[in-house]
Amino acid sequence: MQLDTLLRVAKWEVTKNAGGVDKRTILVMALSLVAMGAVAAIAVSGGTGAGMDDGIYRIGVDESSPYYGVAADDSTFDIREPDPAAVERRQQELLYRGTQLRSVPRTAKERAALTELRDSTAQYNDRTLARDDNQTAAFPVSVTLVYEQQSGSSQLDPRSGDGSGGSDSSDGSGSSTGGSGDGSDTSGTGGSAASGGGDSGTAGGSGANLGAIGARLTGDVQGGTPSDISPPFPFESLVLAFLYIVPMNFVIQAYGSSMLSERLNRRGELLLVTPASRGDIIGGKTLPYLAGAVGVAALITAALRFGNIAPAGSYVAVLAVVPLVVLFLSATFCGAMFARSFKELTFVTVTITVTLTSYAFVPAIFTDVTPIALISPLTLVVLDLTGQSVGLSSFVFSTVPPLLTGLVLFGLGAGLYREEDMFTQRPIPLKVLDALAGGINSRRSALKMSIVLLPLVIVAELAAIAFLFVLDSVSLNVFGTNQSLGIVLVLGVIVIIEELAKSLHVYAGYEHARYERTLRSALGIGALSGLGFFIGEKGLLIARLSDLESLPIGEAALQGATLPAGLPLWVAGLLFMLPLALHTVTAAISSVGASRGRRAYVAALTVAIVIHFAYNFTVVSTLV
Amino acid sequence: MIDARDIRKEYGGFVAVQGSSFSVDRGEVFGIIGPNGAGKTTTLKMLAGLLEPTSGSAEIAGLDTETAEMRQQLGFLPEESPLYEEMTPISYLKFFADLYDVDPDVAEERMHDTLDELELEHRDRKLGDMSKGMKRKVAIARSLINDPDVLIYDEPASGLDPLTTNYVIEFTEQLANEGKTIVFSAHNLFHVESICDRVVIMNEGEIVARGDLEELQAEYGHTRYHVYTTVDVPDAVQENGSYKRVVESMDAVEETRERAEANGGDVVDIRTEESSLEEVFLNVAEAGTRGTRYVEEDAE
Repeated sequence: MQLDTLLRVAKWEVTKNAGGVDKRTILVMALSLVAMGAVAAIAVSGGTGAGMDDGIYRIGVDESSPYYGVAADDSTFDIREPDPAAVERRQQELLYRGTQLRSVPRTAKERAALTELRDSTAQYNDRTLARDDNQTAAFPVSVTLVYEQQSGSSQLDPRSGDGSGGSDSSDGSGSSTGGSGDGSDTSGTGGSAASGGGDSGTAGGSGANLGAIGARLTGDVQGGTPSDISPPFPFESLVLAFLYIVPMNFVIQAYGSSMLSERLNRRGELLLVTPASRGDIIGGKTLPYLAGAVGVAALITAALRFGNIAPAGSYVAVLAVVPLVVLFLSATFCGAMFARSFKELTFVTVTITVTLTSYAFVPAIFTDVTPIALISPLTLVVLDLTGQSVGLSSFVFSTVPPLLTGLVLFGLGAGLYREEDMFTQRPIPLKVLDALAGGINSRRSALKMSIVLLPLVIVAELAAIAFLFVLDSVSLNVFGTNQSLGIVLVLGVIVIIEELAKSLHVYAGYEHARYERTLRSALGIGALSGLGFFIGEKGLLIARLSDLESLPIGEAALQGATLPAGLPLWVAGLLFMLPLALHTVTAAISSVGASRGRRAYVAALTVAIVIHFAYNFTVVSTLV
Repeated sequence: MIDARDIRKEYGGFVAVQGSSFSVDRGEVFGIIGPNGAGKTTTLKMLAGLLEPTSGSAEIAGLDTETAEMRQQLGFLPEESPLYEEMTPISYLKFFADLYDVDPDVAEERMHDTLDELELEHRDRKLGDMSKGMKRKVAIARSLINDPDVLIYDEPASGLDPLTTNYVIEFTEQLANEGKTIVFSAHNLFHVESICDRVVIMNEGEIVARGDLEELQAEYGHTRYHVYTTVDVPDAVQENGSYKRVVESMDAVEETRERAEANGGDVVDIRTEESSLEEVFLNVAEAGTRGTRYVEEDAE
């Protein structure tokens, strides 16, 4: 691969496609951007930006009343001269003289207006007290909040961070000051956890950080009151993750179309006879989209940072997005190499969008809730934007598997980027086999392929954990054991993924006549594939970089790669070697089936899956 | 200049080309002819480095056909060359000049010279809006943008109208006169006959005949004798005041003479006519195939 040639291809990819975009497409893209901007604006304004409820309550109050300031600070109130006749005519909902309510709320709207005024008064008092020079007098009662890490994934406490709650204390100890409410119509406000420190909420722990950015996103700049502490749903994580994911889906559409158009009518054939290598062509055609997607992520980060919505946003957020972009583009590249038409490409890209968006988006929702969130690089983005530090181990755990998976997918797709595979109209499953067979030269390729495909296995297994961990709390009686439904399902999914990863490339090798169809050869190839997987499986040790094993479902899922602590040496040694025996035996079974055709392969694979599941289930039931 | 040694290509169990060997000298125009599915295009693509031979090897100017250095010296024109339709001829040619690392000034001059020679107008029109003939001219110009020593043209006049076809063939002949080494395939054997120095005939993935036209005629064709007599003889037709009988052997010529003399006449002229390449090709094709094109799978 030569950089200058790659850059030339990249330059012409931009030039060529720029000339090919018609006005209608530009209009659609512009409208999409405007729509996204509008969504973001509404999200940033906490849904009140459109001012739908401005001035809906008419209140009669004069400037001498203490409630005048309360109503003036709340845009839902329309302040008018106190007029009893207007109240009678239903033209004013509330009427105050001094501190006295002079009207009797009779209609639903009048009662709602009174409730709104009470809420506003409580917030007004909090803000007033927070500005007081004497904070001790303002908040005479101090309450220390300590958040305990919950065991088990069903404890969804969005503030279960590092134990330091929102605080204005400089040492971040999590101590909060509180005060007694005035007991009047302020709804019994108990105090303010993050008051008095201005914007200092970001200096505290994770909970405080999310609270702070949540306050900005919802327009509640005061925050910190007990009612703010534990919202049940991490809205802010969702919004931030959404902002980063959506543009990628637009980029992969353009990228997939460009790649597929090279294949249709043999347009790309002439590029293959130039001095540019396959790597130059693929790299050059991919680079503009990679740069574009990363650039958009950088722009979003900058906008959030300089728009004071997420002032802590930094290059970490952008770097964390890179593996996701690579993953999206590589999957699309493979899809474009597999699809036979734009119709098929649409199906493929929709599948990719749904699958990868789920992989990236769902775990990020649980940022600060459970270690499972770190499965997605988007979690790092959320952490960075909320001012929380991202450790190197967390960064590696979140980013390396998707990055390696992306590179593997590019490799598989590149295997098809040659004349004899690129322009054939074979069904997608056969194209997948073509791609796998591209890396097979000899028997030893079985070992290599099992190792090479490991990043795909890791990402698929981590995604399975992320999707199924919510079922961890549901118990299931399986074979007399009381396992959680989540663990049983995740074991099943993982077994299927691993057995496919070990055997599919072997089947592809047989289908492409790369292996001899003899029993001896099949057993040897299966054993090599199993050995390769056993070696590669140790890559799952990357999970050690996270706290994934602290969860029962994580421990069950990763038991093949890691050993429980405190075992006698001989047991540990046995448990270390047993997976090798398991993988070689099950891979050999599948290999023998693969050597005898498709039906025999499916039957043998099923047997291998059953054996593997029985083994895993036994180990988990016994040790985990 | 080109050396193909026992190149063979299999797709699964199907043998597209069965161990072909040939060489092409510098400045020579080499034709590959054969019926559809004979393996011509596969052979040309192996020479161009687009397809990796299952076995055997091919070299151009001493370079393996899969190296970038070889591709730098090659101009390839596939049978169908769909272009980037959103580009103009100029931007398209600049794109490829860039990929071949041609100096921009040289490329600019070369592309305009070639398009002038090809008489291509409307150079700022998008390729998608051009006729098939115009697109073919652009494709030919692209194959020359790197000033290659070797040209591999697969059916260069395929699907074009007669006028454009003649133009393309004449232009190819002109390139040959400029010293380019050309490997050329075509269905129209008249075109091959008119510009090729040597020819191979492929059938069912195999080279079944080779040589220059005279050699092929000698081996696979035959000579016809046009015997003109002053009197009518059996099977004769009247032509320009005399009678012409076409026979295929000297014995038949002698027999015609005897018949004419028996009728009081004489033979006034004898002319010979050699087989056309088309006839040679048909004769070779009728000879049938020599082997199977499917590889037997090893059974356990």
